Amino acid sequence: MALSTVSGKQISGKPKSGAPSPRRVRRQLPTSPWLFAAPGLLITGVFILYPFVSTVINSFTDRRTLIPGRFVGLANFRELLHDDMFWIGLRNSALYVLGVVPALVILPLLLALLVQKNIPGITFFRSAFYTPVVASIVVVGLIWVWLLDERGLINSLLESIGIGRVGFLSDQWLLLLSAMAVTVWKGLGYYMIIYLAALANVPRELHEAASVDGAGAVRRFLTVTVPAVRSTMVLVGALSSVAAFKVFSEVYLMAGPSGGPAGEDTTLVMLVQRTGTGLTGRVGYASALSLVVFVVTVALMLLVLRADRREET
Amino acid sequence: MPTSRRTFAAAAVAALVLPLSACGSGNDDSGSSDASGKVEGDITFQTWNLKANFKPYFDGLIADFEKKYPGTHVKWIDQPAEGYADKISADAAGGTLPDVVNVSPDLVAPLAKAGLALDLDKAAAKYKKEYLAGAWASHQIPGMTGTYAFPWYLNTGPLFYNKSLFKQAGLDAGSPPRTYDELFADALQMAKKSDGKVATLANVPTIEDFGRYGVALMNKEGTAFTFNDSKGVQLLTKYKELYDAKALDPQALTATPESSGKKFLTEAVAMNPGSALDLGNFKKQAPNLYKNIGITDQITSTGHVNMYVMGVMVNSKTKHTPASVAFAHYVTDAEHQMSFAKKVAIFPSTAGSLDDPYFTKQDGTDETRVRIAAAKSLKTAVNYTPVLFSEQMKTALRNEVAKALQGKESPRSALDNAVKQCNTLLAQQG
Repeated sequence: MALSTVSGKQISGKPKSGAPSPRRVRRQLPTSPWLFAAPGLLITGVFILYPFVSTVINSFTDRRTLIPGRFVGLANFRELLHDDMFWIGLRNSALYVLGVVPALVILPLLLALLVQKNIPGITFFRSAFYTPVVASIVVVGLIWVWLLDERGLINSLLESIGIGRVGFLSDQWLLLLSAMAVTVWKGLGYYMIIYLAALANVPRELHEAASVDGAGAVRRFLTVTVPAVRSTMVLVGALSSVAAFKVFSEVYLMAGPSGGPAGEDTTLVMLVQRTGTGLTGRVGYASALSLVVFVVTVALMLLVLRADRREET
Repeated sequence: MPTSRRTFAAAAVAALVLPLSACGSGNDDSGSSDASGKVEGDITFQTWNLKANFKPYFDGLIADFEKKYPGTHVKWIDQPAEGYADKISADAAGGTLPDVVNVSPDLVAPLAKAGLALDLDKAAAKYKKEYLAGAWASHQIPGMTGTYAFPWYLNTGPLFYNKSLFKQAGLDAGSPPRTYDELFADALQMAKKSDGKVATLANVPTIEDFGRYGVALMNKEGTAFTFNDSKGVQLLTKYKELYDAKALDPQALTATPESSGKKFLTEAVAMNPGSALDLGNFKKQAPNLYKNIGITDQITSTGHVNMYVMGVMVNSKTKHTPASVAFAHYVTDAEHQMSFAKKVAIFPSTAGSLDDPYFTKQDGTDETRVRIAAAKSLKTAVNYTPVLFSEQMKTALRNEVAKALQGKESPRSALDNAVKQCNTLLAQQG
């Protein structure tokens, strides 16, 4: 297929140096890049843009899985303000961010510092710390459920040292904490790798100069390492807060499909899944919930970036 | 040839929009409800997690059907157990629902309401007499006229109990509880004697428990739930007593069938519902438990155990109604239900099949003992699960029951809330 729109007459009027005329460049550029981008745009359009627009439209309807919806204005949004489950979901998702993000910003950095040094056998530890990242979340979830069960390994150990059995999987708050612990444990290796890349770029001279000035390990960490990887910490904070707010698998696997005792451990995304799926799913209402998740997620990202910008100035 | 920007933009939009056109509902394709024509054409048959264990049976069944009706071709697809309702809802919304679908009554209800299930009282009335009356009625939807699936196999799981744990608690292992009152008394004794270490039950009460306790679940018109009556409150109050005494497992509030099965295997709970298939599992995974296993009927205070019904639905939009109806009937007729029942522990829904010696004569094995006991109880069994009781309603009831057990709400208030939520969801179903 000919892509050029240049006529023979136009070409004949130009020097034969091989360099394209300004007109030729102008007329070719708009077409070719679009063609190159077409596959990506198509995928984005079909799998991201269309579902997003569709979700926005559905959120203003009472659509059900098998019944087309009617426009209901803001009724879904008004309903969620009076839905106890929505507030429980919002509370749990927010608590998840507060519990998980600080741990995922700090612990992987400390871990990266530990495995950064090139000493014999360090590769084993790097691989060991990274293993949970590649493990299936379902497998990981089931293993932890097994460990934390009323008659599981951890409770047996606690009982043998006289503490007694703890209801990790039957108490609403302990269940949420256990799920957070699993998220942190599984995410450590991933963020450790990001920090390792950032630490490799910290000039060694800075550490040497600080040492000469008498700074100890803690001081060097606070005054050299942390400022040098600050932008990476912001990135990790942004990524982990978005992931934490959208948490589903860990809580679903550990608390069960009903979201823990009386549904008290339900997160917002679990609520979207529970409300909007199945043959009697309330697609309109679930779409309104999804929009709230989207808005809060964007707000979280902006908050982290704004905090970073303020510190820079 | 030169390509203008407008042409390119139009092509891009078309490329974007064309694939989306496939996402629309295919509900406009109207099928015929007339099943009297020639049985021919290509149809698709979907089962619910049956391929792994019964492939030869279904391959043979399909081959026989195609031989009996030349010109037909049946494509068999099987879906995993997990997420089956989601798969059906995606197919139904996308207009790709197979011609013949394996369903349960609660799956049929929304499909029938959306006009996607063929009314068999019109299209296949001549076959009605072949089935047990109760089984045929199990796919009728309150508020609608008609029957929307052929009844297929029935099941009623027995209740397993650990004789050793019963003996240790000073209970008569030869006489397990049969009614809820007996169950409550035995469970409290078990918890007391084991100092709260052994629970009798691992699950919170479900809608079927309310039914078997004698609670009226819905009004006669099927337009509202009524399980918050005094009998319902009484049942929940007793369960609260069990929970406080640790006669109900502390993790019952988050239990799944898998987790409670494991609790029974590890002898942390003394009773658990199951099926004849579980016996083999106990033998392999917990030989000590297997030696002490006791088998009894489901607990019931009404004299009727709960029956689970599986059905085969015909898609009302099928292009080959005669072939689809003929195949759905072929799968569920007495001959094929009987031959399927001999391969797996299920029970035919066809009239007279349960009187077959296979379901009445002992041969000394555990499996036969379970089978005969179950077949006997099935003759008077009731399907206590309301057809309109959706997954969202199950969750609402479960959450309110959990609040009552935790003491956050009184049993009365919890059931009032559950009924209110279920009625709201029912009204939203349309």
